[in-house]
Amino acid sequence: MRTAYRVLAYLIALEVVIQASMIAFAVAGLGIWVDEGGVFDSAAIESLEEGDLSFTGAVGMMIHGMNGMMIIPALALIFFIFSFFAKVPGGVKWAAFVLLAVVIQVGLGIFGHENAFFGLLHGVNALILLGLAMTAGARVGRARSVASTHAASSEPELV
Amino acid sequence: MSSRLRLLIACLATSVVLAPLIWMWSNSLMPDDYSVMDMGYADYGGGAAATAAGGHAGLHAGGMDITEIVADADRPADVKVHLVAEQGEFTLASGRTVSGYTLNGQSPGPEIRAVQGQLVEVTLENRSVPDGITLHWHGVDVPNAMDGVAGVTQDAVPKGGSYTYRFVAEQAGTYWYHSHQVSHEQVKGGLLGALVVMPEEQDPGLVDALALVHVYDGRHTVNGRERELAVPAPPGATVRVRAINTDNGVMSVWTSGAPYRLVAVDGNDVHDPGQVEDKAVLLTAGARADLEVVMPADGSGVRVEMGGTAVALGEPTPPTSKPERLLDLLDYGSPAPIGFDPADATRSFDYVIGRRPGFVDGRPGLWWTINGHLFPDVPMFTVTEGDIVRMHIENNSGDEHPMHLHGHHVVVLARDGVRATGSPWWTDSLNVADGGAYDVAFLADNPGVWMDHCHNLPHAAEGLVAHLMYTGFRTPFTIGGTADNTPE
Repeated sequence: MRTAYRVLAYLIALEVVIQASMIAFAVAGLGIWVDEGGVFDSAAIESLEEGDLSFTGAVGMMIHGMNGMMIIPALALIFFIFSFFAKVPGGVKWAAFVLLAVVIQVGLGIFGHENAFFGLLHGVNALILLGLAMTAGARVGRARSVASTHAASSEPELV
Repeated sequence: MSSRLRLLIACLATSVVLAPLIWMWSNSLMPDDYSVMDMGYADYGGGAAATAAGGHAGLHAGGMDITEIVADADRPADVKVHLVAEQGEFTLASGRTVSGYTLNGQSPGPEIRAVQGQLVEVTLENRSVPDGITLHWHGVDVPNAMDGVAGVTQDAVPKGGSYTYRFVAEQAGTYWYHSHQVSHEQVKGGLLGALVVMPEEQDPGLVDALALVHVYDGRHTVNGRERELAVPAPPGATVRVRAINTDNGVMSVWTSGAPYRLVAVDGNDVHDPGQVEDKAVLLTAGARADLEVVMPADGSGVRVEMGGTAVALGEPTPPTSKPERLLDLLDYGSPAPIGFDPADATRSFDYVIGRRPGFVDGRPGLWWTINGHLFPDVPMFTVTEGDIVRMHIENNSGDEHPMHLHGHHVVVLARDGVRATGSPWWTDSLNVADGGAYDVAFLADNPGVWMDHCHNLPHAAEGLVAHLMYTGFRTPFTIGGTADNTPE
């Protein structure tokens, strides 16, 4: 269970990295597409959201949306549930922080469509989420080293 | 803490987290087959309930079948059109090959032209579209059975099947037609075309230029051409440009080389339209605008910009950037009678759009709400024929919505509390900006069951759909079912 906790924590951290690279990929590709004569307006934004624009990098927008709206929230929820069983010191607390950061991140992503400053915070909160997920993952290692020094008193791990 | 107790607490905590989610998920699952009349809850807008039938559940217990609401069956057609729909790859007028849908081998489909008062008869044949198709006459107040909404006014026309639409083109103006089966896919893929109803008396010197704008495969086109459409226009001629926005986003239209007058909105003439310079007209998804320009006497050209495309009238001229200001229809033109008094309204509805997390048909997400409710638990706006209806449309959802009521035109009374003082602003596709609100009114004079939805079609597919229902009428069609009706 501790291993699962650690894997999920680092997976969420990896997802943050994927999200950052995907959106940069999409924005770079979009710029090139517009330079080549593509017109980016309201109708094109709707097409882009539907995955109907075919420029290099357009897939990044789709992945960012799907990851951010579905996969990462699902991972964060599973991570939170696993934390109940994993017996990582402070594990539930850190998983709750991660879940909270994900909820805020999704909200900022959505509300960035009505106020650009939410987008600004979306970028900042991404790094906070990365830090929280890394910290949570690292706690498993700490728990293990503490457990090995007190091997006699440690309870069997629940799997 | 013992490990057993710990495990118990962990299991309890898990159920506390998951139980409400599972409950919400299972509650949101839709049956395979349901009538829109059973959707949500009846909203009588403060007017009389459907007493004879005994409330919402009884709305369709009796009443007239909407398939009986048709144009005069004995009257011969004045305009007859046969449209064959196919799915596959096709070449646009621009030469680009895209995949999607065609009508008679082309997309946009053939332009249908009629003169006001003529009876139009269109036979739609589905040769190869596996999901089935329909045709909806966007902006035309047709008899209900002709409205072309799969699962509401007809079954989707299956491969090998056909359906005949008949309606009288009562009102001169610019309209369009499109599929209302899996519409978020089929409209995008090109199952659409223009419908123009000419007035009985037309100035023979007027140059009429149709400009149907559609994004195919990420490329903006006007009548299937990329960049611009060239229309010959002699110096001094008056040109009427009929702009149609068939996409899901808003489009701005403006001119360079000559000012314009906005002579019609959504197929309704503007009363006393003044000359406009340095302002753009905002066309929401599904909306139309007729702009009239007079070609300069010196022989120079006029360019009508439409977002990513343009109509070049006469000599080609270079593109210009969008004016900073928008033409506000709230005070454009001068007042004229609207035929009824909104102060005498017998029903008054709210259509408040929001957004919240939840499940729609088992899918988790951040979904649109209507009056705080997620699809399908949305209001059924219930009216009686002859009612004067007011509706307050408000948008707090973080995105803008082009609201489209089928079978009726609504007149704008106020926006964000500011009263309309210009020409009567009749519309069927109204852009409700995020944080914005409109008060509109209409006469309940076209009985049946009508969709009232967002015309950003993916939004409709995400549940931003309600219906307007007349008491004493019922639809025999269902969403899903054997015809696999999926109107959105």
